[in-house]
Amino acid sequence: MRRILIIDDEEDIREVAALSMETTAGWEILTASSGAEGILLAANSNPLPDAILMDVMMPGMDGPTTFRRMQENPVLVGIPVFLLTAKVQGVDQRRFAGMGFTAVLFKPFNPLTLAGQISEKLGWKD
Amino acid sequence: MMDTNFEDETRSMQQAVWKRYRPVVLERLDLLDRAAAAAKGGALSEELHGEATSVAHKLAGSLGMYGYDEGTRIAREIEVLLEDTVPASERLWELAIELRSAVFPVV
Repeated sequence: MRRILIIDDEEDIREVAALSMETTAGWEILTASSGAEGILLAANSNPLPDAILMDVMMPGMDGPTTFRRMQENPVLVGIPVFLLTAKVQGVDQRRFAGMGFTAVLFKPFNPLTLAGQISEKLGWKD
Repeated sequence: MMDTNFEDETRSMQQAVWKRYRPVVLERLDLLDRAAAAAKGGALSEELHGEATSVAHKLAGSLGMYGYDEGTRIAREIEVLLEDTVPASERLWELAIELRSAVFPVV
């Protein structure tokens, strides 16, 4: 079973994303409400998450900073990370594109297709 | 093609979360109303301006998830408007009203 970690400070986003991926894909979902909590949860997860979905704008450590910290951690460096953002302007998209994320997904997401989008980007057939 | 049972289950879960989340959305709409009223009166404080920008961003990113695509579109327009140091107050006022109607239409 795939294990996915969602990091977002908005409780309803975490809940809808988690329930939709559990329902439509049967994945196991872990959730964290901040970048710091997400790093800790990912590093202590056994097995490690197969993918991480993280928000851009969070209080404290934002998404890009959280991602950089994960890239510095040898345990977490290989995990695919998706950026989840409500920023749809071209300037923001160009900024995110060069950061090394697996893909940028846009909010609002469709709960029925979220898991499919992730599977497609990662080439998961199961 | 997604299994119809999964689709129904997902939609029902979505509705259940929305029901619980409605009070938060109402609080956010109230805050946007206060910001629009303050802007109209030329008294939008830096703090309220910042809070309204954050709230508009959050609404833009979440309303469509519950099927309120028009709500997301309007919230996004409000967010862009609030990026100006002195936002266009009349338009902000109109959009705040439109946003509430899009999410909670008066019947």
